[in-house]
This record gives sequence, C-alpha cells and structure tokens, in this order.
Amino acid sequence: MDMSESLSTRDGKKLTKPAFYAGLMIILSLLPLFISQGYMLHILTLTFIYIIAAVSLRTITISGQFPLAHAAFMGMGAYLSGMASKWLGWSPWLTIPLAALMTAGIGMLIGYPFARLRALYYAMVSLFFGIGVTQAIYAGGIWTGGYGGLIGISPLLPPTTSKVPYYYLSLGLAMVSIIALYRFEFCRIGTTLKAVAQSHLAASSVGINEAWYRILAMGVGCFFVGLAGAAYAHYNLVISGTSFNFMATLWLVMYVLIGGIGHFAGPIIGTFILILIPEFFRDLKTYSPFIYAGTLIIVVYLMPQGLAGLPQMVRSWFTEHRKDKRTVHAA
Amino acid sequence: MEQLVPTLTNILVLSSMYILVALGFVLLFNVAGILNFAHGVIYMLGGYIGFAFSVVCGLNQWLALLLTVIVIASFGVFLERFCFRPFAGDFNRTVTICIAIIVILETGVNIIGGTKILTFPAFVEGILRIGHVSVSHERIVTFAIGAALLGIIIWFINRTKWGQQMQAISQDIEAAALQGINVHRISAFASALGCGLAAIAGCLMGAYIGLSPFMGDFMLVKVLIVAILAGVGSIGGVFFAGLVLGAIDAILPLFISGAASSAIAVAIVIVILLIRPQGLFGHEMEM
Repeated sequence: MDMSESLSTRDGKKLTKPAFYAGLMIILSLLPLFISQGYMLHILTLTFIYIIAAVSLRTITISGQFPLAHAAFMGMGAYLSGMASKWLGWSPWLTIPLAALMTAGIGMLIGYPFARLRALYYAMVSLFFGIGVTQAIYAGGIWTGGYGGLIGISPLLPPTTSKVPYYYLSLGLAMVSIIALYRFEFCRIGTTLKAVAQSHLAASSVGINEAWYRILAMGVGCFFVGLAGAAYAHYNLVISGTSFNFMATLWLVMYVLIGGIGHFAGPIIGTFILILIPEFFRDLKTYSPFIYAGTLIIVVYLMPQGLAGLPQMVRSWFTEHRKDKRTVHAA
Repeated sequence: MEQLVPTLTNILVLSSMYILVALGFVLLFNVAGILNFAHGVIYMLGGYIGFAFSVVCGLNQWLALLLTVIVIASFGVFLERFCFRPFAGDFNRTVTICIAIIVILETGVNIIGGTKILTFPAFVEGILRIGHVSVSHERIVTFAIGAALLGIIIWFINRTKWGQQMQAISQDIEAAALQGINVHRISAFASALGCGLAAIAGCLMGAYIGLSPFMGDFMLVKVLIVAILAGVGSIGGVFFAGLVLGAIDAILPLFISGAASSAIAVAIVIVILLIRPQGLFGHEMEM
C-alpha cells in the first residue's frame, strides 16, 4: 500500500519552527481566558482527546499496517477504565494508565496473529475485529451497560461547573502524547518501522524481525489510543458503543487522511479542521454534515497530500510560476 | 424440527441478498481496483428510490423496480467517472471520497425520508402451505429473483463479450488495454452493473425487513465480510462465502441472542481468515 510514502522530514529554518510551536502553545494555553462559553471549551477538550487518537493511528500506519479498528481500541480503553472505576471503585488517576496499558497489551496480543496478514487483508480483518469489539460491548449486559451505554463513571476531578481544568488536563495529555509519539517516530525504531513498511522482504533480509516490529507499533499506538479513550470516559462520564463503532473508526481515518498521512502534523491539523468546521455551522443543524462532506471533497480533489501538504504545494506552485516567467523573458 | 423450514428459507434469502450486493462490490473491485465503501449507501438509496417510485408516485411495483435500477445504474456511471476514475490506484483518496458520498447520501435521505423505518409494500402477497409447513410468497419471490439474477450474471461474465472483457481487465489491465479493450467503458459498465444489483437488493430487502437510512452501514459490513472471505479476485468464491455468512447469520441467533451472536459471527470469520489469510478462494495480493 502506498499509505506510508513520503515520510521524509524537511529541515526547516532553524529558529522559525520552535518559535512557531512556542507561539501556538502560548495561544492554546491562554485561550480559556478569552473564551467564556463552556461549550467551545468542551469542543476543544474533545478535539485534544481525538488528536491523541488520530496521531496514534498514524503511528501504526508508518509500519505499513492500516488498522481499521482504532475506535474500537479507544472504546476498549474507555470501557476498561470506566468499568474499573465503577465496579471496583478505583480512582480514575489509577485506572486511566492501567486501562491504557491493558489496551496496549490487547493490541499486541491481537497484533501477533494479525502479523501474518498484509495490506488489504490486514485492514479488513482488523475492521471485522473492531465490529466484534462493539458487538461484545453491546452484549456485555450489566457490566458494560449494553445498548444503553455505561453511566455513573466517576469523574477525574471533584465536580465543578467549570470546563477550564479539563481543558488544561487534556491539552497537557495531548502535548505529552504528541511529543512521545514524535520521539518514537524519529528514533531508530521509527526508522525501522518505515523500512518494514517500504519492503518487508528487504527489511527481513537485513535481519529485522518484521512481525515483532509490527506488533510493537501496534502496542505503542494502542497504548495512546487507550489513554485517549480512558480520558474521554472520565471526562464525558457516559460512554456508549456507538461512539466507538465502525463509522467512528472511519472518522479517525478521515482525520488522518484529510490532514495528510505523510506528515507528522497531518492528523493534528485534520482533527482540528474536521471537528471545528462543522461547529462553526452548528446553526444549520441537520444540514451541517454537508459542510463536513464538502470539506472532504475539496481536500480530496485539490490537495492530494492533505492539508499538511498545502504549504509545499503552494511553494512548488510559486517556483514553477517563476520558472515559466524566466523562460518567457529569455525567449 | 418445526424451525427447520423457516431457518432454511432465511438462509437462502439472506445469502442471495448478500451475494447480490457483494457481487457488485467485487466486480467493481476486480475491474477497476476500487474499494467502494459507498456500496452500502447505494443499496440503501436503491431501496428509498424504489419506495419513492412505488409509494409516493404510486407506480406499479415492478415498474418502480425497473426505474430504480435505471436511475441507480446511471448514478453508478456518474460515480465511476467523477469520483473513482480521477483517483484510480490511490486507496486513501478513494476511501475519502467514499466517506463523503456516505455522509451526503445518509444525511440527504435522513432529511427527506425521516429516520423512521419505512415499510416497502410487498411484491406479492400470500403464503404457500405444504402440509403443515408454510412459507410466505414474499420470501420465495425474493429468493427466486436473487437466484435468477445470479444465474444471469454468471452467464453474462462467462459467455458474453463484455463479461469476458471484464475478466481480462481483472487479470491484467495493461495487457487488456493493449488488446483494444476500452478499459474506462468496461469499468463504467461494471460500476453501473454493481449499483443496479445493489438497487434491486435494496428494494427486495426493503420489502423483506423495511427501510432505514442506516441500513447501508449494516450491509456494507456484510459485503466486506463476503468479499474478503471469498478472497480478492474470486467471483465464484462470493457465492460460497455468501452462503456461509447467510448460514451463520440465520443459525446463530437461534442459540444466542442479539449482539452476542453477531460478535461470535465476526469471531468465526476472523478465525477463518487467520487460518487462510488470502481468503477461501483468493490469492495473495499487494496494494
């Protein structure tokens, strides 16, 4: 599959990049001072949680696997943490990391038999696995709440009406996860994963244990998506299987593809755009999905590399343009 | 024992519908290499357009079915030309455009038709009784139409010029083009054929279990299971895989209720695929 092509990094100017990120961080951390509506902060909090999920999905795809069960793993983290806090009475501060670790463990256990599947078959079998997980959640009776969803999950913080603490917590969690996943992608293991993705035969021939690296990528991706799911459960306090079904997985895939799968920043941009754009048109109510679909169509027809590839596209367009002019003058 | 006949008819009806929809999906995949995630909503759209023709416009049922097939088949040609052909070979962008189509059609049908389950009028009334066993005519007709269409499709693919051109393209697209086969025309035709079959299945299933805007998501999952279980590139395998899935879906709910049976059905499929990673009749392929 050509999903993990063009993963090369471009060396930007030495100081502009850190300055840009620092500015972005300052804006994001000062945002609650300017936004008084609780609803907008709620949307931003959810956006940060989904950013973790989308970035971790992309981390798995750099190993050449395209799992279509990512929302199911998010649901696994959410339900494990929610059930542990509800039925065992454990503190959410303990259950969130535990649920993330267990999701990673399940992901690696699943990854072991799935490592013999490739490309399309891998994507499809993981899709069926995700459907099985949602059906199992529905079938869980009183333990998972069945079709009605799990209610009565203990909140992360003592009850407050303010959304601001949750905003900062999710922002911090997203920052830590993004930095961790960035380090993972550009360390030796990440490079090995890209080698496996480009040619598993060539990678095996130089002594890389392909199956183990694919399982490892699965474990890392599932850890962070489980973390996101658990955080979602203790923020939202009500979870149901419909938030983690097959269509939810496809939304996560959309966040990654619209942002641009070839760039690390892709899923972050994609999640922001695809969650916030329909929010701006919330007054249209039932018609707002059309805005969403319109965004997808515009990006898919005009930006083959996704939104993150836009600067490069514009730059190459300008250089082409200038070259044309020069040839005209020379003639 | 008295459950035997209803279960058997259920297996036959469900299998023939799964095969009918999956066949269109597999044809398009083989010929044009397109993983059409929007196939489920096209099936749903077929049901709703058939409903619009027969109930809202008050046309004859069979005429409505024919008109629906024509409309959806032309929609299939449109999809192939403007949504799939520009992104041939690019999996990511094809998936994205399919999601856009799913969102547009589901939201549109939701707004126009409402979220309530609509019941399509039965194509034929009455119940067939043999001894103390009774089967409704509806099921017999559904199965008969499905089986007849499948027979026609097999004949078409193996015996006619266009069908053989389709097979040639699915074997090697460049060699087929060099032999003078118009690849674009054949893939447009495959798309029209697949969408038409999905529309018929949508109308028949609408009469069998009712119409809802989200029936497409359910069918898409079934279609993907059938296509992958059969193995990519295999058309004959679709029949076997459809029968297997129809049997699993009709028999398991007798023993286990509700969601647990779907979870086990999916688990069975995953185990089969882990044992035979290339599907039952397929070959390994790289994308």
